[in-house]
Amino acid sequence: MLILSRKSGESIVIDGRIHVKIVRVEGEVVKIGIEAPADVPVHRREIYEEIQRSNQAALTRQNAELPKLPQPEPAKPGRTISKVL
Amino acid sequence: MNSANVIEIEEPEMTEAIACCEVRMPAGLLGFEHIKNYLLIAKPAEAPFRWLQVQNNPSLAFVVIEPLYFVPDYRPDIPQPDVDFLGLRSPEDAVVYNIVTVHGPRRATVNLKGPVVINRNTGVAKQVVIANAVEYSVQHPLPVNGTV
Repeated sequence: MLILSRKSGESIVIDGRIHVKIVRVEGEVVKIGIEAPADVPVHRREIYEEIQRSNQAALTRQNAELPKLPQPEPAKPGRTISKVL
Repeated sequence: MNSANVIEIEEPEMTEAIACCEVRMPAGLLGFEHIKNYLLIAKPAEAPFRWLQVQNNPSLAFVVIEPLYFVPDYRPDIPQPDVDFLGLRSPEDAVVYNIVTVHGPRRATVNLKGPVVINRNTGVAKQVVIANAVEYSVQHPLPVNGTV
């Protein structure tokens, strides 16, 4: 792992297009500003991994049997159930 | 109108009609970043569930559901960069689905932290990590018949 020392206000550049800036250091908390192109997803790692695990568990086969849900309550006024696009 | 000419038939074939549309996910799903093209498939018999099926691999799919009925107070806060990425100009442009994990015939959970948001006008979608993810679970139980 590459380890760099940076002071508050300094940044690093990744791949010429991703800028990571140390905005502020407050005790044990470091505030980081990230500028990246829209097609580069940026996530907090623990949430990313939680959703990743959930997705992996959810992947299934098209013919899997689905559980039966009770009839939903009628939609509230002003809310619409969208149709397939 | 002469009622003798009016014939009403419940046609099972009609209710089995399968609706389908293409969904493009330029960033993929988290953990499945390499898969960009999906089909959103609705089979009336399986409502309110739908399938988000990998376009070139029909055997791989995710079960999805609109959260509205089963989590009526769900208020996903979609970060502005994601709104821009999806090209959403108003909330009405967005369709929100949540990915369901079927644990068995009696247990299913839904991921409320990372909904799949689709721009209904363009078919472009993204799995969004909502800004208020801390308020929701990735394993919110669905009220499967017989368990609630």
